[in-house]
Amino acid sequence: MAINPMHQFEVYRIGPEINLGTVNLSFTNASLFMIISAITILFLLFLGTKKKLLIPSKTQFITEMSYTFIAKMINDTAGSGAKSFFPFIFTLFMFVLFCNMIGMLPYSFTVTSHIIVTFMLAATVFIGVTIIGFIKHGIKYLELFVPKGVPIILLPLIIVIEIISYLSRPVSLSVRLFANMMAGHTMLKVFGGFVISLGLLGGWLPLGFSVALTGLEILVAFLQAYVFAILTCIYLNDALNLHH
Amino acid sequence: MKNLKEISTRLEIAKKKIKKKQIKNNGSNVASLGKALKISTELVAAVVVGTALGFILDNWLDTRPWLTISFFIMGVVAGILNVIKSAKKMHKNFKK
Repeated sequence: MAINPMHQFEVYRIGPEINLGTVNLSFTNASLFMIISAITILFLLFLGTKKKLLIPSKTQFITEMSYTFIAKMINDTAGSGAKSFFPFIFTLFMFVLFCNMIGMLPYSFTVTSHIIVTFMLAATVFIGVTIIGFIKHGIKYLELFVPKGVPIILLPLIIVIEIISYLSRPVSLSVRLFANMMAGHTMLKVFGGFVISLGLLGGWLPLGFSVALTGLEILVAFLQAYVFAILTCIYLNDALNLHH
Repeated sequence: MKNLKEISTRLEIAKKKIKKKQIKNNGSNVASLGKALKISTELVAAVVVGTALGFILDNWLDTRPWLTISFFIMGVVAGILNVIKSAKKMHKNFKK
């Protein structure tokens, strides 16, 4: 029985060690679970779109629901101009959601509880949005850092503050997802450990907590995927429509 | 054909029910919890980024510790600004 609550976050190598120069490219359990989530998404969407019934089956219903959910979210937050980014945001949402949800299964590994994974996702969004902003508005995109109606004496200070605020976006995006997932899973493990150490006599209370926390964690898993996607939409909106 | 008509009436009824529910729990759903989580990390992230930026610049320009201190303060300001901005945005959306 692994009592150490952080043991579940350990990344280990599966199969042979692959080195590309100084970069270690070995296949790990993290890679395995990313592939599992990707395949699960593909499988679900394939099943859901195979038979197009008027009265949808359960899988078709889930597929259609996830489509309308994201489409509506993009329309509400980023406007109709962002329709062409639907595939990216849908992929992002589904990937984060399935990584979180598959991490909830016993004996599995939560990919999103590692900050490097979430930071890569957030950095992709951040760099992509910045490039889109520059393509759309050219050098005018820098006006984002200059709020209107600021006295000229204060301008250097304000610009630095705005730049810090802009650079904090990927950090807040990645830390939020990573911290929520890791804290939740650690807490579950700690309460699970209490059940074992208190035994048959006093173990019932932490067991109840564990059950309640599992429910909460499933909510958080969905919520964090949702927040990740909606913030991507908001950043996209800032890049597409400069003044609002 | 009769089947289709029945479905459409059932759909109408279901849509009305959903509308009623949406009016009832306006604002007290999952999205609000998401917003709360969003604001809390925004404040912290700006402070972290500001301090890190100051630290890097300090090492680069050999001015330790002044830039770290001033960038820390600016990071705090940026964090508070972030929170105010997103709170304003939420307010605007809520009014709609």
